[in-house]
Amino acid sequence: MGVGDEGSASPQWGMVIDLAKCVGCDSCTVACKVENRTPPGVSYNVVLEEEVGTFPNVRHVNIPRPCMQCEKAPCVAVCPVSATYQREDGIVVIDADRCIGCRYCITACPYGARSFDFGESYEGEMQGANAVTAPDYGKQHGARRGSQAPIGTVRKCTFCAHRLERGEEPACVETCIGDARYFGDIADPKSLVSLLNASPRAFHLKEELGTRPRVTYLR
Amino acid sequence: MTTTLTSSRPATTPAKSGRVTPARTRVLWYGFLGLLIVAGGIAFFFRMTQGLAVTNLSSTTPWGAWVAFYIFFVGLSAGAFLLSSLVYVFGMYQFERIGRAALLSAIVSMGVALAFIAVDLGRIDRSALPLVFFHWTSPLSWEVRFYIVYIILLSAELAIAIRLHKGLSKSSVRAQRRLRILGTIGIPLAIFGVHGGTGTIFAVLKARGMWFGGLFPVIFVVSAMVSGTALLAVIHYAQSRGSGRRPDAGLMKGLATVLAGVLCVDLGLMFYEFIVPLLAFQPHDGDVIRVMTLGPMWWSFWIIQLLAGMIIPLVVLLTPRLRARPGMVAAAAVLVVVGIVGVRFNIVVPPLIPGVIDGLPAGHYLPSLVEWVLSLGLIAGGAAAYSLISELLPIHDHDDGAEAEASELSKEASA
Repeated sequence: MGVGDEGSASPQWGMVIDLAKCVGCDSCTVACKVENRTPPGVSYNVVLEEEVGTFPNVRHVNIPRPCMQCEKAPCVAVCPVSATYQREDGIVVIDADRCIGCRYCITACPYGARSFDFGESYEGEMQGANAVTAPDYGKQHGARRGSQAPIGTVRKCTFCAHRLERGEEPACVETCIGDARYFGDIADPKSLVSLLNASPRAFHLKEELGTRPRVTYLR
Repeated sequence: MTTTLTSSRPATTPAKSGRVTPARTRVLWYGFLGLLIVAGGIAFFFRMTQGLAVTNLSSTTPWGAWVAFYIFFVGLSAGAFLLSSLVYVFGMYQFERIGRAALLSAIVSMGVALAFIAVDLGRIDRSALPLVFFHWTSPLSWEVRFYIVYIILLSAELAIAIRLHKGLSKSSVRAQRRLRILGTIGIPLAIFGVHGGTGTIFAVLKARGMWFGGLFPVIFVVSAMVSGTALLAVIHYAQSRGSGRRPDAGLMKGLATVLAGVLCVDLGLMFYEFIVPLLAFQPHDGDVIRVMTLGPMWWSFWIIQLLAGMIIPLVVLLTPRLRARPGMVAAAAVLVVVGIVGVRFNIVVPPLIPGVIDGLPAGHYLPSLVEWVLSLGLIAGGAAAYSLISELLPIHDHDDGAEAEASELSKEASA
């Protein structure tokens, strides 16, 4: 289903990140870890921080990187069991009960947005860390234990699909201290994200790959 | 194996006093493999109880030793099978003696490859799911199916070849025709389905340097021929020596010629694989080449893959005086097989080291102890399976029978 198709029943979720407003505080990363209760080594969102140039002509670049939710997702194409797929609203999700853990999708993602769940836990640092898990991809798997899914499978950002269901924004959008992130329906031409998408400042990461990301950046 | 002691020419290797006898070699061989299998079993226990946390893999470098060995054994299998097709399809009966050995090693290698990819799955309990759910855009989904068809076809071919050898087939002409038909179906299956397809798994990944591109599957097929031919030279030499016979010098020379040829093609393809992205100044490919040639594992590229795996064997195989000596050919073949292990590691690991996007940390990977020991265990399991099956079934020829049979076959072929 293409963006802006007439009669597309479902909203098409998209995100816009204004880099001019990002201060690189990593609040989004922290909010994401708390919301999705991701284990050590798994971060759905990170902030890519880079120093460009040599002293004294240096500038600091922060690029927050959630999953791009590509329309032409290379990770979806290579999954041997179709465990990862696009929902009607464009969000790329993983069926943790079908994923065989081959990690082909991790090697296919040009944005490094997928992680493997090696089964590590914060239990040693935080009592009861295993007791509560987020309903990743809309399914509650209960307490984190043994070799039960999602342990041994691949994990990724879902634009906080479980929050969208209750009418809330993704945690990273809600928490951003500079309001650098915008979220909305890109199928609606009058939505704020659609208007920002049309800005001359708009660009996508690795546009040349033709993945058509649903996360737009404003430079 | 030991039955060859009673063969008509036991005196080809004069038994010096204190020399290892075939019977003792056999005990040592199985004892050695048994130890490795037990150690591998212990590593497998850790793998099953602690999951992939026992590996040194990460989300940056998600594939490592087990994937490298998986493609190594798929390559051995495809190469060994293609060598067997020289006999059964193209009628080059100078290789007849290793026809069945080639088929058996192709089947066993494929089994070892599947074992490697199974232990590498995060959810080993779901390893049958790829057969249940199909995804046509995923090369891996196709591969799993090709592997199974391939194993069935090879087993049928081996069964016919054994019956033909034992004189059980009603009509040897018909049996040979069946072998030719199965082998002919098998050639495109091995080239495009099994090994070219395995190369395609990597070649479609536009996110990574050095993998993406059309040359990659071709290189896979050629390096499969290299490793398969070398493996059979090693097997023939070791099996003959181990059972106290002299290796067939003509056969070893023939294998040396094939091996030198495919090695040259492999080297040529490798040249293009590197020179094109370098001259195009492709940033991703350049990063990977830098990791491969100048990174902390530079020696695995320059010394194992290039010097030991290609240059030294080529010198041996192209020097007439050295090529004429089966021992030298076998030594060169061992170097080639070890070199191809280096090739497989350098295929899998370096493209997974640089961060895919600026600002992501680079990966670091060396296999953990559990990864090494489990790998050795699986390899030993394959070697033990091969040895046991070749004792139960007539896989290797006795000296006298073979020549007669080979000449008979070539007579029939010319008729």
